[in-house]
Amino acid sequence: MDVSQYLDVFIDESNEHIQSLSDNIMILEKEPENADTINEIFRAAHSLKGMAGTMGFKKMQHLTHDMENVFQEVRNDNVKVNSDLIDILFDCLDAIEGYVSTIKETSDEGSEDNAVTIKKLNDFLTKETGSDIVSEKTPEVETTVAETASETNSSDEQNDAVAYTHLPLSDDDKMKVIDELEGGANVIGITVNTSKECLLKAARAFLVYKAVEEFGEIIAYSPSAQDVEDEKFETEFSLLLQTDCDQDDIKSAIENVSEIKSAVIGPVNLDMYHENVAVQEAPDKSETPKVEKTKTILSTIDNSKEQASKTSKNAIAAANKGKPVATRTVRVDIDKLDDLMNQVSELIIAKNTLVARANSSEAEGGADLTEQIEYLERITTGLHESVMKVRMVPIESVVNKFPRMIRDLSRKLNKPMDLIMSGEETELDRTVVDQIGDPLQHLLRNSADHGIEDPKTRKMSGKPETGKIWLTAYQEGNNVIIKVKDDGAGIDTDSVLRKAIERGIVSEEEGKKLSKKEIANFLFMPSFSMAKKITDISGRGVGLDVVKSNVESLGGDVEVHSEMGVGSTFTVRLPLTLAIIQALMVEVRDEKYAIALASIQNIEYIPVTDIKYVQAKEVIYLRGTVIPLVHMDTILDCQDTEDKPEDITVVVVNKGDSSVGVVVDNLIGQQEIVIKSLGKVIEDNKYISGATILGDGEVALIIDVNSLF
Amino acid sequence: MSKSAELDATAEVKKQYIVVTLGDEFYGLDISFVDNIVRMQKITRVPKAPTHYKGVINLRGEVVPVMSIRKKMGLQEDVITNATRIIILKLQDQGFVGILVDSVNEVFSLGESEIERNFNTKDSKSNFINGIGKNEARLISLFDIDKIATEASK
Repeated sequence: MDVSQYLDVFIDESNEHIQSLSDNIMILEKEPENADTINEIFRAAHSLKGMAGTMGFKKMQHLTHDMENVFQEVRNDNVKVNSDLIDILFDCLDAIEGYVSTIKETSDEGSEDNAVTIKKLNDFLTKETGSDIVSEKTPEVETTVAETASETNSSDEQNDAVAYTHLPLSDDDKMKVIDELEGGANVIGITVNTSKECLLKAARAFLVYKAVEEFGEIIAYSPSAQDVEDEKFETEFSLLLQTDCDQDDIKSAIENVSEIKSAVIGPVNLDMYHENVAVQEAPDKSETPKVEKTKTILSTIDNSKEQASKTSKNAIAAANKGKPVATRTVRVDIDKLDDLMNQVSELIIAKNTLVARANSSEAEGGADLTEQIEYLERITTGLHESVMKVRMVPIESVVNKFPRMIRDLSRKLNKPMDLIMSGEETELDRTVVDQIGDPLQHLLRNSADHGIEDPKTRKMSGKPETGKIWLTAYQEGNNVIIKVKDDGAGIDTDSVLRKAIERGIVSEEEGKKLSKKEIANFLFMPSFSMAKKITDISGRGVGLDVVKSNVESLGGDVEVHSEMGVGSTFTVRLPLTLAIIQALMVEVRDEKYAIALASIQNIEYIPVTDIKYVQAKEVIYLRGTVIPLVHMDTILDCQDTEDKPEDITVVVVNKGDSSVGVVVDNLIGQQEIVIKSLGKVIEDNKYISGATILGDGEVALIIDVNSLF
Repeated sequence: MSKSAELDATAEVKKQYIVVTLGDEFYGLDISFVDNIVRMQKITRVPKAPTHYKGVINLRGEVVPVMSIRKKMGLQEDVITNATRIIILKLQDQGFVGILVDSVNEVFSLGESEIERNFNTKDSKSNFINGIGKNEARLISLFDIDKIATEASK
């Protein structure tokens, strides 16, 4: 057995603890006296330390240990939280994150020992407490700790001191024990209890085995070594050891393994394991180890502190017992989900084939077939929805790093600002969530750097000095909307236009006709930076165009609304699902195309005579709105036909607030389609967002409605 | 034939090629790149795609682009007959790409000694050829799959 198999768990758990640390330090900055938060930070730091220790990451353990020390003092009211401490803590956090990412990449913590950060921590501690306070205070803590610890242990002992005396051993093991004992060897029993919060029980057990093996030979395990490795035990495991070493040495070796609550050791005699003797009572010896234990605990400061935290942990765990938190979740590899999704997609294609077949042979198949197919349809749709749901994760995992980012930016730019987030629980497909982080980060940095004015300017324009940035997410139909809004200066459309003319993107003439919105959209063009000076936060002109292309590659779009002096809002619209959508199938000449149902507003049949012209462009006037027309056949380079119909079929699609009427030849009907990539070689096709396979095996292309605007 | 090739002839490993026709000429494709050979089927035109792309087909539930190698080499338009086949190549970076051929003849083994590497026809189709295999009286132009791959992504 080797600890590397716990690496994934370790990385996952570490990231969770780092996040919790980050969140809580942010809270602590605002409420320095909040005892709950301090406890929470202490716990997270402690868990990190324990985990790093188990995995043998000594440097990380060292750093987290020192963090824990600082919080010990904070908890004891010896140190007051101030902004210096917060800064140091964030440094530590970055360092820990560094360790974890190095570990993720190389399975090793690397060589960076972050001595500077650790020194800062310790300097802070010495400065704030005065070194004598530390030394004075510690013994006091120790004694109380020792008392509580021995209390806890003695109460535990009543239950488990006897554990090693009547282990449910297999016959083979029993024979071995009896052999050893009859041969005059000295056999001792050890029962080890891990703490309840212990995350990597098997790894701890492994370390215990390793420690014990230095003293002698393990003759028997209970539960079996295999079960222990598979974590098939609660908190307790026992073993029988053939050794001549001192029991106290063994005991302290075991208890040096972190997250081990207690170890009970006593000699094993022949009576206990003789086949015909049933052992009911604990040997008298159990009294001795109890006394020894207190001594052991007192022997090292480290040990006592750990015990202290454990006792407090236990207390908190006990307090929380009122509401048991049952986590009914399973971690699943994303690849497995992708596989499942692909299978469901195939199933839907197969179902569509059946539907097509049934429709063509309706006369002979009869109602029965149709009914069965409808049933199948219901099942596949349900299955698809379930799989989709499994793949959905809250965007929380992405956005929760932003408060920290804004805080850092705020300090760096010397502009006070707050980030107000809502809708973190909004769910999106896992693949989307993984990729939406960067674009959002860009938008937020953009707001912080360009949007929010410096406090002086804000004061002059009658705004509160502290700028506000809102990050809002919510679901709207088949889309998820994420808005990044600020109450800053807004976009100066005049200077954007001037720049666009300068760059030759539009002529001065054209520029005059453009709406504010159209001008603001220039910002999404490649290398169009409005920043007067380049900072390391933004302004290199590789911001918004990347945001746009990233969002579009996810099948979404991004828009900007801005008002001078009031602020700007960037709206990112993302599809809920990526792989399977409801679509309207249309015909253009003899080719079939799919249009995503979600973007369709309505369908109209319009007499050709109703087509009007505005600026030489065809439009229709529909219930009070002017809708420009787009002819699919010209856009898709279809051949002209002779026959001009009297009526045209117009599919009105919308994107944000604007609508476009798409003229097609025929409607086929609504269908659930599986989106497939066009293949790498013709992927970047402006008007086509993908392809799908129809019931008859033919490939139909999916029209990218966004490209028509 | 170069001298060194002659010396190695006894120990050389023969590669297998799929022999196809384009018009009257024979062409060989390294079999290790060929995933599949399918009959002609309906090709869905992709608007605005480069002209040498005929469109996409459905290959066991995957959408695969089909390229006209004739167009790419400056030959005449493909004439679709009963013998027309689509050779599905599996490329390292581009995934599956289908190419249209007039017919598929056989699988043939060629050693390096049977391949002429030095030739220069100064014509656009030789861009895709990296050798000429000699098989009795027939000459088989061997496609340079890497070239096709880079052309495919253009």
